[in-house]
Amino acid sequence: MMRVVTFHGDLAVKAQALERLRHHIMAGNFVYFPAWEDGKANVIGAVMEADDTPGYAEKLGYPLGLADTLPMFVNGFRPQAEAARFADAWLERTPVGADLTQIVSQLVLDLLANPELVAMTKRHPDVERGRRAIMALHQRAVDGDEPDRKTWKAARLAAVAATDAFEEETLDRWAAQVIEAAAWPGAMRTVLRDTLGGLSAFEMHLSLSRIGWTKEDESRVFHIREQAEKDGFKAEFSGLDRVLAILDADHPALAGQFRLRLEGVEEATERYRATGWKTIEMMEQAPLAAPERADERARA
Amino acid sequence: MRNATEQDFDDIVLKNDKPVLVDFWAPWCAPCKALAPTLDEIAAEYAEEMEIVKVDIEANPKLAERFEVRGIPLLMIVKDGSETARTFGTLSRSRLDAFVDANVGGAE
Repeated sequence: MMRVVTFHGDLAVKAQALERLRHHIMAGNFVYFPAWEDGKANVIGAVMEADDTPGYAEKLGYPLGLADTLPMFVNGFRPQAEAARFADAWLERTPVGADLTQIVSQLVLDLLANPELVAMTKRHPDVERGRRAIMALHQRAVDGDEPDRKTWKAARLAAVAATDAFEEETLDRWAAQVIEAAAWPGAMRTVLRDTLGGLSAFEMHLSLSRIGWTKEDESRVFHIREQAEKDGFKAEFSGLDRVLAILDADHPALAGQFRLRLEGVEEATERYRATGWKTIEMMEQAPLAAPERADERARA
Repeated sequence: MRNATEQDFDDIVLKNDKPVLVDFWAPWCAPCKALAPTLDEIAAEYAEEMEIVKVDIEANPKLAERFEVRGIPLLMIVKDGSETARTFGTLSRSRLDAFVDANVGGAE
């Protein structure tokens, strides 16, 4: 596997990236989406001045799977100033010359060890076996071995078959989907993004099931809001405030449940924030592959 | 990856010697954009077995109507000139791989 070294060991590459990012933040052009349009830029576009994730990874020396997941981390932060603060910390705290070749597998291992996920997969031998097998493959990669394509595929097909044993929209299935999403080598662009997205979705559904929120409740709120809009009810409010005002007025019990539902959804975005910060910590602890780190320390 | 239009869809897709995975998408569709890297990877992995063809439904509304595209992203497998499977919505790489594997055959 080709080594991935941050900023190619060159402090100037980091400095230029930081300068571009800060320029866009200061100018008020930093956005969540799209990556690059009419001078507005997200965390990728601000550095590349284009919608070019592979270019970002190549230019700055991040694994493509990590660069592809970066906007997901950033989008988990609200308000926008917090997102900008994380984007700045991402570049600022990435050491120059860190070897990130195995960081995607390390992060996938961390996600697959999530205690709530494990509590769910342990109830189903096929899913748990798949989780352990896929973790073992990522661990081999971290240890410098490279499992071949057939080995990954066998683990993946077993994980997909285990998922298919469950009904759609069940917690067991949401958990199993996290396992199957992880069944790719760390060099694959989408493996971290899919695994993280799967875990966040699992956590959100777990949270909603704990408060007893159902699809029928979701549908009920939708129809109540739709009718209220037709009637012009609570038109002095907008967005979620209007939904809450409508429910508070006519359906107070449902309003309470809906507030808990909003909190559950919000908690699920914490997965993106936590994994973002964890990634920064892992980068700071990654082995160094180039001597420029010493220069950086001297200049700091 | 090729793009097909109302003018050349039949030649590119229906008369293709290989199975074709048709990706119905639109420029304003964020989930379609999110799916694009996954399709890039699938295209490289299954280059021997099939072709991926993209159809912009905004520029080619008659194709959307002809194939009853009710939502996007919509992925459709065409073999020997006929649709054999379709799936709607964003998919993980593993799910898409399983879909292709089941409907086209495995890349070895």
